[in-house]
Amino acid sequence: MSDFISVFQNRQDMLLETIWEHLQISLISLIIAILIAVPLGLVLTRYPRVAEPIIGISAVMQTIPSLAVLAFLIPIFGIGTTPAIIALTAYGLLPILRNAYTGIKEVNPALKEAAVGMGMNSMKRLTKVELPIAMPVIMAGIRTSMVLIVGTTTIAALIGAGGLGKLILLGLDRGADVNLILLGAIPAALLAILLDFILRGFERVSKKAGFKSFIAMIVIAILVVTTPLLINTSQKADIIIGGKLGAEPAIIINMYEQLIEDQTDLNVELEEGLGKTSFLFNALEQDSIDMFLEFTGTALVTYLDEDAKSNQANEVYEQARDGMMEEYDMTFLEPMEFNNTYTVSTTKKLAEQYDLKEIGDLKEIEDDITAGFTLEFNDRYDGYVGMQDVYNLDLDVKTMEPGIREKALTKGEVDIIDAYATDSYMVELDLVTLDDPENLFPPYQGAPLLKAETLEKYPEIEDVLNQLGGQITDEEMRQMNYKVDYEDKSPHDVAKSFLIEKGLLER
Amino acid sequence: MIEFDKINKIYPDGTKAIKDFTLKVNEGEIVTLIGPSGCGKTTTMKMINRLIEPTSGNIYIDNKDIRAYNMHELRWNIGYVLQEIALFPHLTIEENIAIVPELKKWKRRKIWDRSKELLEMVGLDANKYRKKMPRELSGGEQQRIGVIRALAADPDIILMDEPFSALDPISREQLQTDISKIQKEIKKTIVFVTHDMDEAMALGDRVCLMKAGEVIQVDTPQELILNPKTQFVKDFIGERKSPWQTAVDVIADQSEKFVISKSDYEKDTYPREGMFIIKDESNQYVGAVVDTKSIEITPLQNDMPLYKATEAIQTSKHPLFPVVKNNRLVGVLSYQVIVDYLKSKTKLENGVIQS
Repeated sequence: MSDFISVFQNRQDMLLETIWEHLQISLISLIIAILIAVPLGLVLTRYPRVAEPIIGISAVMQTIPSLAVLAFLIPIFGIGTTPAIIALTAYGLLPILRNAYTGIKEVNPALKEAAVGMGMNSMKRLTKVELPIAMPVIMAGIRTSMVLIVGTTTIAALIGAGGLGKLILLGLDRGADVNLILLGAIPAALLAILLDFILRGFERVSKKAGFKSFIAMIVIAILVVTTPLLINTSQKADIIIGGKLGAEPAIIINMYEQLIEDQTDLNVELEEGLGKTSFLFNALEQDSIDMFLEFTGTALVTYLDEDAKSNQANEVYEQARDGMMEEYDMTFLEPMEFNNTYTVSTTKKLAEQYDLKEIGDLKEIEDDITAGFTLEFNDRYDGYVGMQDVYNLDLDVKTMEPGIREKALTKGEVDIIDAYATDSYMVELDLVTLDDPENLFPPYQGAPLLKAETLEKYPEIEDVLNQLGGQITDEEMRQMNYKVDYEDKSPHDVAKSFLIEKGLLER
Repeated sequence: MIEFDKINKIYPDGTKAIKDFTLKVNEGEIVTLIGPSGCGKTTTMKMINRLIEPTSGNIYIDNKDIRAYNMHELRWNIGYVLQEIALFPHLTIEENIAIVPELKKWKRRKIWDRSKELLEMVGLDANKYRKKMPRELSGGEQQRIGVIRALAADPDIILMDEPFSALDPISREQLQTDISKIQKEIKKTIVFVTHDMDEAMALGDRVCLMKAGEVIQVDTPQELILNPKTQFVKDFIGERKSPWQTAVDVIADQSEKFVISKSDYEKDTYPREGMFIIKDESNQYVGAVVDTKSIEITPLQNDMPLYKATEAIQTSKHPLFPVVKNNRLVGVLSYQVIVDYLKSKTKLENGVIQS
């Protein structure tokens, strides 16, 4: 509990900011969903034949995992709030649409006939009779949708839209840090309860005032959401640097930022904590970001679909650099020294018990152990697919989120995990890495990846960023990650003190 | 005045719902439409306010084709009372009543006065009921509001679609009485759909009996009973309850054997002995004489059932009773006709009385 309070105190500013972002994204999505679904639902009651197929389509949209919707949208809308709002809107449509349609449709036919028979036209009938009577049902749909949207907005953080998901994802990334997760989850729940309370108030009013209160509700919501947008028109940065979720990318891109801003006149903005590799790459192609930290091995395997021709780090880099230039017209600047390759790790105890030194040694005990791999590792050739091939292994695999692996390992739920060589928990948990004599895992050295045209526009950044080329050893990286993950230092400060120490930045 | 001229209604599947329906409803008259379910009575009625359009034929209101009116304005001038009552549950009683006046853009003050007047007309305290919600009212009270909602904007025509069938027998009877009473004051042209023969007879100036989309007979209640055109009419009317529930005008003697005119009475040109009922030239009931002496006697209302009439008859020392409808003499009830009627309604089967 005291941990939670200290986490809360340390991150008060971030909490307020994320709550506000969360509220904004949720409300905008909800409003758009209402503005689409309510009129559509009303129109559909006049065309019942097309109603079921259209409601069916919105039901299908709901079944697509929201993360997948986000992935689809990045190539078109990039990262940030726009694709998040689109995805959330699509997500929130169904309950409102269905309830608006059903609500109007279920209005007692005798009442409709009375309205027609008394000489009301279609519009009058809608506003005076059908809408007020259907209002509680419509409001119930809006409330359901609101809860769905507020909950799902946590995922928006994966594509840089911010919100309370930022805290939750950070918590997950840090080995399921319960306090951080709660710090994100509790306000999200409170937000949902608060909004539900407000909506219930509107519902009560709407029974009396009918349609007017509904309009009033939407107008108020729009004002709440847009006012800060009108005031807060910050200038767009020259360069936006993206980073994957996790301490390491955050530290490195903070170094980029500080170096560029120190040594050039350019403005830099950071988009930290973006969800998946493909999100970043799509965002780069789509120009939502200008640069991000990518690893040589990933570039080869994921983007170029090639095998490493050599296991020499510099040759892998050259192969990746040339390939990226040829295939995507992107420049891969000089890599840093540390090699954040995949490793297969286990606890010291297990390693001693079975005398494990190499990956191949697992063959002996493959029926007795369980592996905890990330989805990505499980699916890659320079991952478990290759392990099956090269080391002839057939393990019992449980796939899980990166942040949960090491917990599962220390709790004994799994016996081996995939890990990154520079991950901070290698230090914290004192894990043993198994050697890879067949060099299945290619070297993974980090370097800035950017479009060639960006470099043409700002040629000065090449020299600035290349200062980091060949810098930062495995051990230095591990220590910096440890500071962020376990000592709760900010990536910005860790980056800064490193740069100062190396004489790259003035104090 | 409403006039149906050769109305047909054919549904897309070929069903002929209404066949060559022709009927004239006079100003200030109540015509009840009755017939077995599916006979097209409700369909016919809903054509008047264009809830249903005929396939062919014309309907005229005041000699003008209803399609020549603006549809919404036409409906504003036709009150509509539904079987389901259909008060808007989210509106107060006052707001429900005010709907058509509001559509007609009446002034607030005028609407307020009108709703007060109407509520009091059906015996409800305006101050008490005005702000109530429909669900706070009993079924009978609700339909009373349903009726005055239809009357609110003072339309010339009122359509009533089995308005009392959802009510309990006591409320139903009460409302039927109210309608008769109100109609005496307001004199609207009313088309009243019902499946209850007693109701049709009691309320209708004329009854239009329909079967399979066709008019079988349109006549006054009495004519319908006395001179049924077909076996169907006979059977349909025969499908009634105990003869004791028959309205007195059906039983009453119309032969004028015991009726004298006002002028005869004034000129003293009528038999010296016996009891006689006096009427004037326009058939209005004037009074009664026994052995040339004028007497006080309360005439029986036409829709009074026989068993109630006998209560009045038993306590009276006179042998004859005038039967009136809106003070118009429609017949004379005597012990003789009552006995004849009861006998005619009692079937003997193998010497056993069937009822």
